Amino acid sequence: MYVIEVENLTKSFGKNHVLNGVSLKLGKGESYVIIGGSGSGKSVLLKSIIGILTPTSGTVTINGNEMTSLPQKKRDKLMLKCGILFQGGALFDSLTVADNIGFGLVYGCGYSKKQAREVAREKLHDVNLNDDILDKYPSELSGGMKKRVALARAIATNPDIIFFDEPTTGLDPITSGMINELIVKCTKEMGISALSITHDINSLKHISDRVGLLFGGKIIWEGFNKDLWKTDNPYVRQFVTGSLTGPFTDGK
Amino acid sequence: MKIINFLIVIGKIFINFLKTTGNLAVFLFKSLILGLRPPYYWRQILLQTIQIGYYSLPVVGLTALFTGMAMTLQCYDGFSSFTSEGAIPSVVMIAMTRELGPVLASLMVAGRLGASMTAEIGTMRVTEQIDALSSLSVNPYKYLVFPRILTGTLLMPFLVFIDDVIGILGGYLVGVYHLGFNSANYIHNTFISMSMWDVMSGLIKGAVFGFVICLMGCYQGFSSKGGAEGVGRATTNSVVTSSIVILLLDGILTFVLF
Repeated sequence: MYVIEVENLTKSFGKNHVLNGVSLKLGKGESYVIIGGSGSGKSVLLKSIIGILTPTSGTVTINGNEMTSLPQKKRDKLMLKCGILFQGGALFDSLTVADNIGFGLVYGCGYSKKQAREVAREKLHDVNLNDDILDKYPSELSGGMKKRVALARAIATNPDIIFFDEPTTGLDPITSGMINELIVKCTKEMGISALSITHDINSLKHISDRVGLLFGGKIIWEGFNKDLWKTDNPYVRQFVTGSLTGPFTDGK
Repeated sequence: MKIINFLIVIGKIFINFLKTTGNLAVFLFKSLILGLRPPYYWRQILLQTIQIGYYSLPVVGLTALFTGMAMTLQCYDGFSSFTSEGAIPSVVMIAMTRELGPVLASLMVAGRLGASMTAEIGTMRVTEQIDALSSLSVNPYKYLVFPRILTGTLLMPFLVFIDDVIGILGGYLVGVYHLGFNSANYIHNTFISMSMWDVMSGLIKGAVFGFVICLMGCYQGFSSKGGAEGVGRATTNSVVTSSIVILLLDGILTFVLF
């Protein structure tokens, strides 16, 4: 049983064909990581899967629901079962930490502000933060704290699936390690399926069960975490080793 | 060859104009259709009421006060040559209610509110906060755009009315305390030629201009891209476009209403 099935997904912006038939499947409780160079279309793929961008063609099925043909109300309900950690956190500047974490609960699940605040307190503990920051604004937090608050918001509605968009970008190694641990905690302890995009090899090593390499708008290599380090695929080799010569840089 | 190049440029400008107008119409349609359906975000409407109505009062009031004062002085300078000083209160009243009240209040609100609206929504756009809203099952058109357009359209007439009152008061202060008009006469001359339609037409203009300011502010914010520079560009576009459209519509509405 797959929680996400992507079939032949394409996405073009005018004459720029970013995705050229991406297919992937995410199993229940699995952590799938998409890797690829900058500008390879990872973020476009993620946004097309979660419906922020409308695919040019192809299908995306989440929990058995084909997303493009799903009525808005059902789609909204389904989205509450999906948490998203955006690259920069995307916390609402004008709201406190408590209101940010409880946002989906208040507006999507009908919780009162008081109930949502209690859940926010609980989720802050889950991401190793003290609840004394509940009334602070995002501008008063450090980068790592913002990321963890964003993660708390992503898991506030107890989702079945979480999408991570470059979860460790811009963070120091220790904070990155902390975020990686939290992602592993989400998938292994809470049983949440995770689809992540990253180009951080260290993060990839820790959080992935399976890996797909996106290049030229397609997944050109797919395999388990352990296979990634042994494969002879020249694209994977160059990406993992960070070599300056190889298929990624040929002709550049 | 030069003519063809010229025509190409004109064609591009025209196509861009049509494209922007089309996008704006779709944006408005989406915002209204989605905004009129429940659930309603009352808290957002209340916040915008405070932001648009309450916080705009000082800037609108000050502009009106000094405009009324300056106008009375200028009129006195001209009218005294024809010994027609008695007409000054009526002229100030008509100018404030029909024209200066709605136009000046709207231009000030476009500068203050339109800019802040675009900057706020634009920053939300480039930092993925609008995507985050969608991912939390909250439609950004309903949550961000509709409350602003609604409150802007409904509250601008109130701001224009306050602008009218303060502008006329400014004229009164200069007339009575500086130019030596008799207070009772000034008040009498102010209201003797006043018709309800003078005030109403200004309020109608205010509602239209409020709608334009909020629509442009939100649209430009939503269309922002490219980080801080893009938000800055969108903010400038918002104020410039709103101001031009306000002045253009002022001309059209004056033809229609009078």
